[in-house]
Amino acid sequence: MHIPDGLMDPTVAAIGLIEFAAIVSVAIVVSRRSLREKDLPRVAMLSAGIFVAQMLNFPIGGGTTGHLVGGALFAIMVGPTFAIIGMTVILLIQALMFGDGGITAFGLNALNMAIIAPLVGWGVFNLMKPLVGRTGRIGQGVSVGTAAWASVFVAAAACAAEMAVSYAISGGTYGIAATVSVPAMLGFHAVIGVGEAAISAGVVTYLEHVSPETFSRRAAANPSSSGRKGVLRSTTLRASGAVLLVLALALPFYFLYAAEGRDGLEQTMEDAGVTEGAQLANSPFTYGQNYFGALFSGIIGFVAVSLAMTGIMRALDGRRAADEM
Amino acid sequence: MATVHGNPFQLHKAGRDTEETWFTRLDPRAKLLGILTFVITGAILTSTDLLLAALVLAAALAAASRVSAWNLAKAYIVALPFILLASVSLFIFTGPVQGANMVIRVSTCVLALLVLVNGTETFDLFLGLRRLKVPAVLTTLVMLTYRYVLLISEELDRMRIARKARGFSGGKSLLDRYGLRVLSYTAGMLLVRSSARADNIYEGLKMRGFREDMAAWRRRTMASADFAFLGLFLAASGALITIQLGVVP
Amino acid sequence: MLEAESVGFVYEDGTVALDKVSLVMEEGEKVALVGPNGAGKSTLLHLIAGFRTPFSGKVVVSGKSLDSSSADLVRRDLGLVFQDPDDQVFMPTVEEDVAFGPRNLGLDDIDRRVTDALKSTGIEDLARRRPHRLSHGMKKRVAIAGVLAMDPKMLLLDEPTSGLDPRARKDLVRLLKEMDRTMLIATHDLEAASEIVDRVVVLNVGIVMQGTMAELVAARDVLESAGLEMPPLPRLFRLLEARGFPTNEMPVSMEQAVAELSKVIEGGDVRVRAHRGVQERKRAETGVPHPDLEIDRRKAQN
Repeated sequence: MHIPDGLMDPTVAAIGLIEFAAIVSVAIVVSRRSLREKDLPRVAMLSAGIFVAQMLNFPIGGGTTGHLVGGALFAIMVGPTFAIIGMTVILLIQALMFGDGGITAFGLNALNMAIIAPLVGWGVFNLMKPLVGRTGRIGQGVSVGTAAWASVFVAAAACAAEMAVSYAISGGTYGIAATVSVPAMLGFHAVIGVGEAAISAGVVTYLEHVSPETFSRRAAANPSSSGRKGVLRSTTLRASGAVLLVLALALPFYFLYAAEGRDGLEQTMEDAGVTEGAQLANSPFTYGQNYFGALFSGIIGFVAVSLAMTGIMRALDGRRAADEM
Repeated sequence: MATVHGNPFQLHKAGRDTEETWFTRLDPRAKLLGILTFVITGAILTSTDLLLAALVLAAALAAASRVSAWNLAKAYIVALPFILLASVSLFIFTGPVQGANMVIRVSTCVLALLVLVNGTETFDLFLGLRRLKVPAVLTTLVMLTYRYVLLISEELDRMRIARKARGFSGGKSLLDRYGLRVLSYTAGMLLVRSSARADNIYEGLKMRGFREDMAAWRRRTMASADFAFLGLFLAASGALITIQLGVVP
Repeated sequence: MLEAESVGFVYEDGTVALDKVSLVMEEGEKVALVGPNGAGKSTLLHLIAGFRTPFSGKVVVSGKSLDSSSADLVRRDLGLVFQDPDDQVFMPTVEEDVAFGPRNLGLDDIDRRVTDALKSTGIEDLARRRPHRLSHGMKKRVAIAGVLAMDPKMLLLDEPTSGLDPRARKDLVRLLKEMDRTMLIATHDLEAASEIVDRVVVLNVGIVMQGTMAELVAARDVLESAGLEMPPLPRLFRLLEARGFPTNEMPVSMEQAVAELSKVIEGGDVRVRAHRGVQERKRAETGVPHPDLEIDRRKAQN
């Protein structure tokens, strides 16, 4: 789901870039604590591995093929922070090496595949682990698989939402109408998710058997990292934190839509009458007055949430390390 | 809309020695800045006339740069599903004008980006990233990962051949559970083998004085051709934006 | 130049890698570090380069004591050429890769360094090529050039001849032989080592023996226990000796062998009741003019 330039509404794309920049900066800051210089090659190697794995296509019937996204796998192997950084690296290389995915759309692509996918994958995995823990290998396979499927599905949903919001607020100039984008993205990726689930589960199982120390679920070597204790010990809470973050990311888009968007279908009826024949359709920059208001509040709300998340993420990483000692 | 991402041909292309054209010889900074500006401009255009003008400029760039049309076409096809989905749905829901605009706009941006990417040494683009203030951690990881990708894909080729030599022909359908299992084991094995080399490579880099940040490499100064190129695209973008934003019908 | 004193090292799984290894090298010396696989040769090289900390003992390089904080500094004086060039070669073109080291170190006159390094390894015409498309032998040269460009005081080479075809191997041996630099070469290719080095250290977790190559090939039990094969030249002369044809000193390099043989040939004493193989070799050496032999014969005649 690498979106090219020119498809999304510029405001949506801008929000995507801002959110992405904020989260990835947080991830970098948090990782500095546990990422020593000698870890760089390993993280890079893992990114490279998943990059190449993404090129393994599996057919999903009807002549189309799907491929691995790898966000969930990454996060399950080395934690959400490194996964966010690693997936971002992958997307950067794909954009600069193949032109896969646009530049203005990079924020959104990264948001979907490098942030939402790993967070969801990691969150679901940790939420499921205690539930199926007792069933051993099968249980692990199931949790990994479910987490992987969910990561792809939610990322696709986010993508569909971004398209729909683009469509709505631009009055039909950008984006794809919800009635089309949602079924298309969700349907397609529900199937792809199965492949992702199978491969992710397979890889994790294989690694656990053959060489667990390869990319151990070590996130950090220093357990002394944080001052948050006690209440953040619970796995459920950690995973919930991840999911919360994903929801927080949706806020600005919601604000934007609420301020500007109208019901898709009705709007298109109006527009069909209005824009036919008009040459210069809608300049996105001359939209209504509450436009900037909504944007602004959305951004502030978001920044506040992500600052809170920094604290939680830092704690999560430190807590993880401590628990795994 | 998953399609073939970075198919193996393009990876091998990265390995081949590229032929030099006037375009490949341009300073990467000029190309990056100029084309980037142009793409951003293109993404916010909504007037059909302006879009057509932009498309013409992009096509002219593509033709003049002598980048292989075949490569451009192959990469363009990757973006096609999105383009079609979007333009067809706009066509239906909003009207033919919007549908057409969408096709033109996305095609223009994609084309310009593809020319940049195909006509510039990837490593230089990475260094350009650093210049644009992307954090050192990311750019260093990008460069390392890129190097490793080339290594791993060779490794993968070897493993695939070995696999085939042992009669494996599965992995053709999602319903092929055995095939999927082999696929995932291949992937796992790949990661294991690769991680063993990661430490060696790190040492190899340290041996040559590498620290966390890749310093600027090319001490090239911009020549007049570079400025001309940059100027052209900045001017074109500026003109397009001004007309789009302001003044026009 | 280098002083390793009673160095010890243990792998993660508990096996002892190095045991009380002591080694002293003067500037300008060329030393071969030989031993079977798993003897710890690579480990020792990497340890000297500061990538591992010895469990016991200490290492001093060029007057600087090696510890975790001084590792980066010490490394500037060293040039470690890895066994697998892919571990070391990195940039998109050969000349950029050779420039990588000097640039990182902030050295000046980079272009000249690169050209010199490329020239001394004989790969100037590969300058704009992509390294990972080159043959193994060429890649090794790129790696060596990259290290040479940094002008290190001492070279550490890890199995430099492994994986090379005979031609490439010959070229590399000649290159190292003619190079005027302190070097420590870890190898199990005794034949190559004997052409290059003055001194040999046999390592098998601990130091088994140190001496000249001639002394090593004379010590058959050492060769045996270290899993080493006597190189062809000394083996030939050993066989000849067994058939009543002794030499004063066991020749280990081609030059020495030629010198010994010419002495004998000039003396006209070629009474050997050897079996066919040796006879054929003799015929080849005296009948068909071998270039080295020709030159020496003429020299002896004048």
